[in-house]
Amino acid sequence: MNPLELTLGIMTSVGGFVDISELVFAARAGSTFAFALIWVFVLGTIGIIVFGEMSGRVAATAKQPVFNLMRHRLGLKLGLVTLAASLISNLITCAAEIGGVSLVLNYLVGWPYMLNAVLMVIAMIATIWVLPFKWIERIYGLLGLFMIVFAAALVAMHPPWGKIAGGLVPQIPPGLSTKELLTFAYFAVAILSAVLFPYEVYFYSSGGIEEEWGRKDLLTNRLTCIVGFGLGSLLAISILANSAIQFGPANVDPAIPGTAALQAAIPFGKWGLILALLGMFFAVAGAAVETCLSNAYCVSQFFGWAWGRHKKPWEAPRFTIAWITMFVLALAIILTGVDPMQLVEFAVLFSILVLPLTYLPLLLLAGDKSYMREQVNGPIAKSLGWLFFAIITVAAVAALPLFFLTSGGQA
Amino acid sequence: MKPEGRIKLVSQLLDLPLLDSEGRFCGVVDDLEFTGAAGKPLLLKALLVGPGAYKGRMPAWAMWLVRVLAGDRITRVPLARITSIGSVVHLDCPARELGLDKSERAAERIIPHGGAL
Repeated sequence: MNPLELTLGIMTSVGGFVDISELVFAARAGSTFAFALIWVFVLGTIGIIVFGEMSGRVAATAKQPVFNLMRHRLGLKLGLVTLAASLISNLITCAAEIGGVSLVLNYLVGWPYMLNAVLMVIAMIATIWVLPFKWIERIYGLLGLFMIVFAAALVAMHPPWGKIAGGLVPQIPPGLSTKELLTFAYFAVAILSAVLFPYEVYFYSSGGIEEEWGRKDLLTNRLTCIVGFGLGSLLAISILANSAIQFGPANVDPAIPGTAALQAAIPFGKWGLILALLGMFFAVAGAAVETCLSNAYCVSQFFGWAWGRHKKPWEAPRFTIAWITMFVLALAIILTGVDPMQLVEFAVLFSILVLPLTYLPLLLLAGDKSYMREQVNGPIAKSLGWLFFAIITVAAVAALPLFFLTSGGQA
Repeated sequence: MKPEGRIKLVSQLLDLPLLDSEGRFCGVVDDLEFTGAAGKPLLLKALLVGPGAYKGRMPAWAMWLVRVLAGDRITRVPLARITSIGSVVHLDCPARELGLDKSERAAERIIPHGGAL
């Protein structure tokens, strides 16, 4: 294990952890319910650590990414249903990320939103075309570390640490009306969905194959998941806590990303705001790239095409056409004029609906001795895996009713 | 595992990816072709690859959709071309020898060659 590679891998995970949905829901959750939803972020983070580690272990052991084996395990029909659900979920998420990054670019340079969307898609296509996989992952992930300014802002605001620690305990705030209780539940489901987005495990396991992971990389996989995702989650929790301190008492609803960026401007002024916007820009752009590549990975692996950005684009031509098509479709969604924040709502809603379909095959694969040999799920991974599968299934069942009952958290 | 070994053939082979002798993915085992007759042994003859091989595994309406979107070509991979079966099926020759690279080559023709590090 190369310590430099490990550190870079962990830092990349930290910088790439937060996406537009987490950003928006963390900020809104803090301003609406103060620190009471921190525990949901912690719960979701443990979930993504469990499933991320599992998908990396499958990739390193079976030398195959999740979707390659998923079709063999589920069969053609159920496999196709899973593929279609994942593609739709990832496409909506990708469109939401492109919308988010275009808004952030608008705050940074003042160019029109639609023009930004077109320019960003061209820039992201160029990045994936030109750069090898590791560079793509590292550039967006490491520059996303500007988001650390949110954690620094929290410390600079001298927050009530006792109350923040109290938010780690699973709770429902007392004295909520029925409507507020439903909104609280909707936020909890949305945060779980945003932290556990399906594209993350597809991208992570395919990335393991792109970087030629083997059994020697199992420890790297475990540390990257635990430390990288854990620290990344602290950034999201910082945004929530800042929002609780700065926006909640002033009755500000940070419904757009620009409001969240102000969290760093309050203690640090103009440079705090610029760093926050730069962090958001690279983190959200990185998420757009990951969602788009994830869709190309899923399609290519399902149909047995040559795939991967470790190959030149023309050496895996159908894979290349797939990721370019995904970007074009996501851009087309943005160009219809749909509100990007509405896309964020749809992305978390649709993702939670398909989460059980994503994670069940992964659980089955990681628990199958014929693929995994001695790296098969142990009692801890197995118990945690099934526990989280039960949690996301309950969340998936509750998501649609909660969405309609609360008008997407606006009730 | 060797192809002549005693294996649960259908479930072991169906939907496994194919890897050619140059290490390139070149399709998935979409169906299997057997030979034999009543009173005679049933023998695996070939792997069937391509959207046309979905017929029999999918409802008619879904098959219609597949045909519209992807066509109905089928490529046969003789059993003798398999070297081993694990989490992928390894072949002993390049995909082009079996005609498994037609779609990939057609796509390659419309992709610019250059500009990548």
